[in-house]
Amino acid sequence: MARPTSFGKDTGLQVRMTITMFLLGLVYVVLVVALLAAGANGVTVAIIAAGLAAFQLFGSDKLALRAMGAREVSPAEAPELHAMIERLCIQADLPKPKVAVADTRMPNAFALGRSPKSATVCATTGIMEQLSPAELEGVMAHELTHVANRDVLVMTLAGFFATIAAYVVQFGFLFGGGHGDDDDNPSAMVLFLVSIVVYVVSFLLMQALSRYREFAADRGAALITGRPSALASALQTISSGMHRIPQRDLRASQELSAFYFFPPGVGKAIGGLFATHPPMEKRIAALERLERQLQGTAA
Amino acid sequence: MGLFDILTGKRKVKQPAESRLFAMSTAGVHLDMSMGLTSSGKAAIVFQPLATTDFESIVTDMEEVLRGTGEETGTGVEKTDDSFGYRWMILSDPEYEDLVVGVNVVSQALQDGGYGERILCAVFAFRDAKDQPVYWIYNYKRGAYYPFVPAGGDQRRDTERELRLKAQIGSELPIEAELERWFPLWGIPI
Repeated sequence: MARPTSFGKDTGLQVRMTITMFLLGLVYVVLVVALLAAGANGVTVAIIAAGLAAFQLFGSDKLALRAMGAREVSPAEAPELHAMIERLCIQADLPKPKVAVADTRMPNAFALGRSPKSATVCATTGIMEQLSPAELEGVMAHELTHVANRDVLVMTLAGFFATIAAYVVQFGFLFGGGHGDDDDNPSAMVLFLVSIVVYVVSFLLMQALSRYREFAADRGAALITGRPSALASALQTISSGMHRIPQRDLRASQELSAFYFFPPGVGKAIGGLFATHPPMEKRIAALERLERQLQGTAA
Repeated sequence: MGLFDILTGKRKVKQPAESRLFAMSTAGVHLDMSMGLTSSGKAAIVFQPLATTDFESIVTDMEEVLRGTGEETGTGVEKTDDSFGYRWMILSDPEYEDLVVGVNVVSQALQDGGYGERILCAVFAFRDAKDQPVYWIYNYKRGAYYPFVPAGGDQRRDTERELRLKAQIGSELPIEAELERWFPLWGIPI
């Protein structure tokens, strides 16, 4: 039997992700045109948004860790976790990230940092207790794939223009009023309307992009560990645990939730369109497909 | 990884770099004569065993080849699985160069089978003048060696000694340039 060469191939996902990004770009071009048409005010908003995005990229890691109640741990404090991550780093050809642990019973993990060199991966004490070593390895490989794919950077940049649109919508009155020459300034009104549309459309596209990147991270984790089923089993364990345990530790912001291994507070009420993470069943089905590819039984 | 790969989240596990494994056989003399490191007579290669029939048959074939040649060269073969789920093929042979050859047999068999990316590393064990263990670890994906000296106690390494070893070995071995990739391996069974 030949080696299953199709392992890890998912052209459909690649195509969907590319199309989503293309659409996002398209929407943003419209916004930029409107911003430029609005003149000085529009450019000011863009500069402010750029500053905030830069702050988010360069300064928010420590803040986010503190918000999660996580702290960096030394190899002596968490030897097993460190050794596991070191081995995964060799396999994934990554420099070793900082390792942090959050002391909460909620089973979860997340990755922070704009580049592999400045990355931090964090696991909660809950996830380390509930998962078997192989399952935990799958979860950490998922987070390391987020790091390798630079998902924090990609999502921050993808959300950059959406942020601008949000500012314009929120502070729209600043553009319109002021000098009593409302009638002479129709471009402000156009900008306001364009921003609303851009905001709504880009929000949906961003959520879709986030879901695709979750699939990509699951696939990356399966490739690194060679054990898709271990990750599928981890997903199952965590999702059943998530519903059992009350969600009192939910202080995370929306931005953070995109990089969670499993989104907190995911309920049936939230439509699939608005979710940052794909439903668990779909993730497990995708992993099952990978396992079949690996076993060479895929059609 | 290119820009397009980052944008589309494409991720392939890196295949081994061009093999510089055999640098170890020529460096052996230098290690022994100038640095006072003698081979412990053991080396190991570590990989992730996949639970597929294809992979298992490759491993079985490879072990047979290894045992076959071992009867000629006197190389002993053992295998053990560690707590992280990695498999260690441990070779023992007083002839140092046979160890390098044996390690190469294993890695070559895995690469020929198309599973090169499953190899974690190769470990060559040495003892210094005080009979303390000194390891040289070969990272296949990087094609480079780095020293690893456990300092006793839990999870402590003698970084000073490792840096000195790097200086002493000079250009005899291709050394991993990025220090943050000198990944330790705790509980090496050789």
